[in-house]
Amino acid sequence: MAAPFSRVYRPLWRIITTSALNRGVRNVSSSRQQWSAQNVKPAGAASPWALHGAVCLQRLPAVSQDRSPIEEEFMELMHQMELERSLLSDHELRLLEDAARMSRKQEEDYDSDEEEEDYRDKEIVTAQDLEDIWEQKLKQFQPAPRSQAVDEKDVSSSERCLADSLILLVKKHVGSQKLWLLPQIQWQTGETLRQTAERALASLPGADLTATFLGNAPCGFYKYKYPKDIQKEGSVGAKVFFFKAVLPSHKHLPLEKNSFAWVKKEELQDFLKPEYLKQVRRFIMAL
Amino acid sequence: MAGIVCRTASRVISSQVSCSSSVVAVRNSHWFTSMLSLKTSLPLRAEPKKKKKVDPRREIMMKERLKKKLKRLEKVAPELIPIEDFITPAKCFDETRIRDAPKLSFEESERRALLLKEWSRYKYSQHQTEMDTINEALEAQRQALDELKLESEELYKAALSPDTDLFPFQHEGPSYTPPVTNYEAPEGKYNDITRVYTQ
Repeated sequence: MAAPFSRVYRPLWRIITTSALNRGVRNVSSSRQQWSAQNVKPAGAASPWALHGAVCLQRLPAVSQDRSPIEEEFMELMHQMELERSLLSDHELRLLEDAARMSRKQEEDYDSDEEEEDYRDKEIVTAQDLEDIWEQKLKQFQPAPRSQAVDEKDVSSSERCLADSLILLVKKHVGSQKLWLLPQIQWQTGETLRQTAERALASLPGADLTATFLGNAPCGFYKYKYPKDIQKEGSVGAKVFFFKAVLPSHKHLPLEKNSFAWVKKEELQDFLKPEYLKQVRRFIMAL
Repeated sequence: MAGIVCRTASRVISSQVSCSSSVVAVRNSHWFTSMLSLKTSLPLRAEPKKKKKVDPRREIMMKERLKKKLKRLEKVAPELIPIEDFITPAKCFDETRIRDAPKLSFEESERRALLLKEWSRYKYSQHQTEMDTINEALEAQRQALDELKLESEELYKAALSPDTDLFPFQHEGPSYTPPVTNYEAPEGKYNDITRVYTQ
């Protein structure tokens, strides 16, 4: 009794949590599971949902984040406490010795022969001089600036906001509208969904983006129904499965504007539709 | 006369010592003129007979004893390689290196205590948000896999199969400043002074 009960129970639970529109779909799929025990069917033959594979391509941060005020304060406190609890290093001892020697030289009863006995053969390079030499050497090196000269508002450059992870969005025709979406493409029979996602990435015009996909499993999905006039027999809507991919750390080529966007998690709401955004936000981690 | 005496003496001796029959024959022979030469050649003649039986065994016994001694020496546990991180260097016990402890004012110590408490609260909330984000992402993945199972078993199984090409995974993490384009790092010489231990 337990097995059939669970099959009936699940649709009821789903009805409570999801919208009433999906009720029909639930019963279709649960009854299909009962049929498949008797007939062997090809995969997805009777499914009214079109499958799409999409890729959530992330450019991970290249530069560390700025510290918040409390983090700055705490860092200073930690440095101070470590300094107080530490022992004197060789360099510091040398500084103290040099200072003591200088003060002895200034005194009137300075006996230079006594002192120079030990130091005659050594060069007189004090620790302070060494410190100055090292500072000079440091100044000769010019590191790249933390915030690059790229305009922060220029959404099409992948060099913006080096301290955050960016997601790639594409503008696409869906029905009659042009929408910003994660790159997606229709699934074809004979390939796995991950291969669909890889195809979606490769088919982007003007971009050779080689990315590492993180695993075979999708990280999220989005389900939508077609508007009533497009709905025919056998196609109710589409399900999009998202796969995560990571761009390698070396330099990337710029992409054309108005069709591509590199966007932070906070800026996603300016680009994506609310329902779509709700599902996509769940698996994008901006820590 | 002396020869006769010699012969009788030798006969008496030979009756007691069985292996000295050769002695009698040697003594009677005209090739050996002096008694001394007979005496020195006697042991040379006698021992080879003994060696054929006992000495190979004795040599084997000696070798076995040596091997046992070697095994006993080898059974001693090898000396452990010292972990250099666990040995405090003698420099740290030098008294001239101790800093004067600073005297903190009451306000300063209060400020420090309050800052530490503030920090623990901050870190706790940070940890909570991290765990929530991770759990949210895991839940989204679980639901996606459930939906995929409803769609088709084949695709579901393909999604669950492990990805062998993913590991070893390499990615350069964030640094303080981004990498300088076309940077040539200067060549540097170094002396490697790491100590290598052998057991």
